[in-house]
Amino acid sequence: MKKSLLVLLGLMMILWLAACGGDEGSEEAGGDTETDTTEETTDENTDSDSEADSGGGDVTLRIAWWGSQPRHDYTLEVIEMYEEANPGVTIEPEYASWDDYWQKLAPQAAANELPDILAMDLSYLSQYADNGQLADLNPFLGNQIDVENISEDVVNGGTVGDGIYGFNLGVNAVGFHYNPELLAEAGIDEIPENWTWEDYQEMSQKAVDAGVFFDTGFQADVFFNYYLRQNGKRLYAEDGSGLGYKDDQLFVDFFSMVQEQVETEATPTPDYLAQLAGPEDDPTVKGEGIGIFQWSNQFVGLEDISEHEFEMAPMPGPNVADGLFLKPSMFFSVSENSEAKEEAAKFISYFVNDVEANKLILGDRGVPVSSVVKEALKEEVSASQAEVFEYVEWVEENSTEMGAADPAGAGEIIELLSNLSEQIAYGEITPEDAAEHFRTQAGSILGN
Amino acid sequence: MQTNMKQNLWGYIFIGPFIIGFLAFTIIPIIASFYFSFTSYDLFNAPRWIGLDNFKEMFTSDPRYLHSLKITFIYVFVGVPLRLIFALVVAMLLNTASRAVGLYRTLYYLPSLIGGSVAVAIMWRNIFGDDGIVNIALLSMGIDPVRWFGNPTAALWMLIFLSVWQFGSSMLIFLAGLKSIPQSYYEAASVDGASFFQKFFNITIPMLSPVILFNAIMQTIAAFMTFVPAFIISKGTGGPLDGTLLYSLYLFKQGFEFFHMGYASAMAWVMLIIIAILTSLIFLSSKYWVHYESEGGK
Repeated sequence: MKKSLLVLLGLMMILWLAACGGDEGSEEAGGDTETDTTEETTDENTDSDSEADSGGGDVTLRIAWWGSQPRHDYTLEVIEMYEEANPGVTIEPEYASWDDYWQKLAPQAAANELPDILAMDLSYLSQYADNGQLADLNPFLGNQIDVENISEDVVNGGTVGDGIYGFNLGVNAVGFHYNPELLAEAGIDEIPENWTWEDYQEMSQKAVDAGVFFDTGFQADVFFNYYLRQNGKRLYAEDGSGLGYKDDQLFVDFFSMVQEQVETEATPTPDYLAQLAGPEDDPTVKGEGIGIFQWSNQFVGLEDISEHEFEMAPMPGPNVADGLFLKPSMFFSVSENSEAKEEAAKFISYFVNDVEANKLILGDRGVPVSSVVKEALKEEVSASQAEVFEYVEWVEENSTEMGAADPAGAGEIIELLSNLSEQIAYGEITPEDAAEHFRTQAGSILGN
Repeated sequence: MQTNMKQNLWGYIFIGPFIIGFLAFTIIPIIASFYFSFTSYDLFNAPRWIGLDNFKEMFTSDPRYLHSLKITFIYVFVGVPLRLIFALVVAMLLNTASRAVGLYRTLYYLPSLIGGSVAVAIMWRNIFGDDGIVNIALLSMGIDPVRWFGNPTAALWMLIFLSVWQFGSSMLIFLAGLKSIPQSYYEAASVDGASFFQKFFNITIPMLSPVILFNAIMQTIAAFMTFVPAFIISKGTGGPLDGTLLYSLYLFKQGFEFFHMGYASAMAWVMLIIIAILTSLIFLSSKYWVHYESEGGK
């Protein structure tokens, strides 16, 4: 009796093990055969130089992106539409929040297991491209990826070295998004298009007198870079070997201004900001602050979560055009380890060029890059989205080139700078000391 | 012989899954990380041998590392004793004969079951939030609300409270220990007119000392490795002002955010050495304060 029970248990154990092992095994095996067939079909395709129609074999593409729930929802819908239009292509989505996304991506890269298509950000593009993780998209341009209606500048936004390692999905520009009602209450008529940092400080004082915050501070890396650009410099050297400015006085000037804003309470103190549970608690959202300095694709989200109406103003001058640039809001890259690069490229082409798909995307990933799509969407989009389109069009006329992509190690620099700016806001370190500290630390990070 | 072999075989089959998992997910990674700790390894390119440079950097040119080490020590040396004291107090309360003890025991153990989870850490954020229950309580007592997440010291204390609150497993072990102290000792002491405190310090503590030793070691080790609460409560930043940048969190950031896997591996080995030293110190000290029944009361 006892023995038979033991045998039974043992058998179950073996079955269980086999099942587990089998699962993995079959998946791997399945993956291999699938990719094998892909290779064949793609070979055929290139041989016959036919229009890319994957009628031949079944392809499975993995795609990964970061974002919040609305973005996940519409992206999944777009994927479904694509699968319907392209029988034989199966797309496996993987999505996460910003932080989780990068933490998941790093080990995948180490294991050569990156998804076929992956969302990339400017601050990580070099890191992944320099290390040979991403495929150069040049061979696909004009072939699998239709770039007829996309300007060259926009496509070149994904350049690292000699190759294009990410395909630009939309463009963004920084600006000030403000609540006009609250602005009027603070006794400010309007924010003129050509306002300056001095105007900014004056207006801040008026806001303080009226008992509201003027803004919620600056994301250090983004706006310090803007300030440097205004002064003809930039955060990173063009070749990525170090910082792009020599004079630490620029650092001191900018962060002293930020510190003063905190001291006069025109900007909430850092401990106030740290206590916020989420974006819906933001003082601007709740109507306790006049505005936010942020990227243009965040404008619609701000209107969505707040019951207040907002308008867009450019950044404070002088030399706004030198400071502003059109930033690729994000990229889709194809991984070097992908076995179906051409299929991946086709999906990217669909994502940026298909009008129906973009009626779902609606500029959440920045203003669409295709002029045809942009035109078609003008009637579709909401009033607030139209404002974003308009603002980005204005920036197109009033901006300068972005310059080289952020160097590898940018992620660490960004963290270092935001830590220092936090310490400055807390009064733990003077802007002078922080400037020096930033220079030495950044040098050792980028020098590696 | 035959049957012996057979029986052994069954044994191996049953422990097989564990052994395989142990090799694949514990032993091999440990060996690999030992090697990586002497290299510069960014996850993308092959590791490059740099000898002891990682260890040198830690102690000579990485102020953030030293800071993280410091707050981890504070976390451990404040949190663990508090947790043990709390666990012992609750265990003694539960050791009184009462009908509801079973229920209370379960209730008090619950936080430990769910303690390591993300949900609890998120709940903790709400409890200590601006409109959270803690600040409401403080306000009702006429004390100004504290910005728990805005002040580095307060944020660390919040983590310590969270760890103290998860006293359940130590409490259960204390409870078992308390139950094994013969009732006759207390009766004899009562006859001699001993007060509660005399009984506590002269009977309970010495009799319980082996259990205290065990709990102290286990909790110290666990506390050094705390990661989830710090990660969730600071939203992965270790802030404010690196106030909650516990050792494991900094290690994680180095490895997976900054792509310094070699450095992160070296940090892991230093942590192992620190834990080993502390554990042996606790063991060495035990002969002065731990009392074993079997040594004939010596």
